[in-house]
Amino acid sequence: MKRLVLKDLSKTYFDPYAGAHVTAVQEVSLEVKQGEFVSVVGPSGCGKTTLLNMIAGFIPASGGEILLDERAVDGPGPERGVVFQSFALFPWKTVLENVAFGPKIRGLSRTEREKIAREYLDLVGLANVAERYPNELSGGMQQRVGVVRALANNPDVLLMDEPFASVDAQTRMTLQEELTRIWQERRPTIIFITHDVGEAVFLANRVVVLSKGRILKEIEVTLPRPRAWDLLTEDAAFKALSGQVLQLVRSA
Amino acid sequence: MTPLLKAWSLYARWTARYPAVHSIVPFIPLVALWAVVAESNIFPRAFFPGPLEVVRSFGTLVYKGILPDYLEDSIVRLAVGTAAGVALGIPLGVLVGLSPRAHALLWPILLFFQAIGDIAWLPILLIWFGFSLTTMTFVIVYTVLFPVVLNTALGVRSVPLDLHRAALSLGASRTRVIWEVVLPGALPNIMTGLRNGLGYGWRALIAAEIIVGTSGIGFLMFDARRAGSVVEILLGMIVLGVLWYIVDSWVLAPIERATGERWGLVTR
Repeated sequence: MKRLVLKDLSKTYFDPYAGAHVTAVQEVSLEVKQGEFVSVVGPSGCGKTTLLNMIAGFIPASGGEILLDERAVDGPGPERGVVFQSFALFPWKTVLENVAFGPKIRGLSRTEREKIAREYLDLVGLANVAERYPNELSGGMQQRVGVVRALANNPDVLLMDEPFASVDAQTRMTLQEELTRIWQERRPTIIFITHDVGEAVFLANRVVVLSKGRILKEIEVTLPRPRAWDLLTEDAAFKALSGQVLQLVRSA
Repeated sequence: MTPLLKAWSLYARWTARYPAVHSIVPFIPLVALWAVVAESNIFPRAFFPGPLEVVRSFGTLVYKGILPDYLEDSIVRLAVGTAAGVALGIPLGVLVGLSPRAHALLWPILLFFQAIGDIAWLPILLIWFGFSLTTMTFVIVYTVLFPVVLNTALGVRSVPLDLHRAALSLGASRTRVIWEVVLPGALPNIMTGLRNGLGYGWRALIAAEIIVGTSGIGFLMFDARRAGSVVEILLGMIVLGVLWYIVDSWVLAPIERATGERWGLVTR
């Protein structure tokens, strides 16, 4: 079992304008089991993106440790895939080349990596735009590519940083439903950062509420799957959970 | 009205079939004006020859083989100088763009030397290397180098941080990121640098040829001055303009269309 363990993880940095040290993340301890879907939700400035950037290895932690499968995390690595709010697709690569990038770095031959890429594009119904460039795609399509590009590299953990925040509301719902479907089929371990309470509850098995750099509360979500918005919007249990999380976030 | 419409539709069809027509048409009134002024004999003919004389001189110089030879000399010098300037400039630009330390160290020096224009080097180069190919090559490489370095560094710095991060978290090494992310991301700026560099380099070359003077279009023009042949001077000027137009529309523009514009990095 591959586990991701955060032990007393902290991040402080010096703000030259304020002339003081600012604490973004404070002694966060969290354990994520293989195949779990964890949402981290909190108001802006609560440190959720800083937390994700540390796990991804983009920025160093000031204290504590991050262990993936008992090994300390040091810098970015392919075992931790990332999906960005900005999509971060390579504009000079076609959709297919974007998805095949991870396998290409792993040293797979062109035939092998394109086969993998096409499989994953099929998963999100984008096989027909494989030869296009990202700027020719809608935002929703671009982020589907972003998700499968990370998945195609078979990461132990998938880190998603508000991935659906910059698409329109309808597309966002579709993408959320697709993500739950993909998670059910493939069971990747996912840490999903969001400020959207409904999204956090809809997607996850567990919601972590973050406030002022600390974990305020962890809430298990046992809603049945598959989850779909037209079923859940009126669901009493979903409403109750969302209400509870919303209160926590607003009190934060 | 009808003949006018007919002419217009003919023009529309022609430009659609032969896009080159687009670039020739604007010159028609210009050449016509030139011809009218020349024919009116306001200025002595030897000082202000018309287009026909220039065309005739073009024919003669091509026939004698002088123009093709000189043209080749100029183009080879420019190509070699540009290739060397780009080969030096892109790595240097990437270094300055990626490393804050290299930036802090090299940027002031780059700006300082950029200010000493290409031709300002000629006096000292003539003492060091004499009236030689080395002098000319130095001037071109020097001229091409700076726009390429400065624009490459700018382009490298403009690549979004998330693209670096995406490549790293897909397993790419730092070196790999340079090839897969930094260079393609900086390409539109590198092209701008190349465009400027070629433009400045071309001018510097003509200046160098005039002063160093063994062959080339610049030498052709300066030599014509000695012989008092305004026709050949005009011919040299026209060759310069046409040549630049060809480099732009046959080499630079197609590269830009196939890269930055296609990827949506630059808007047309």
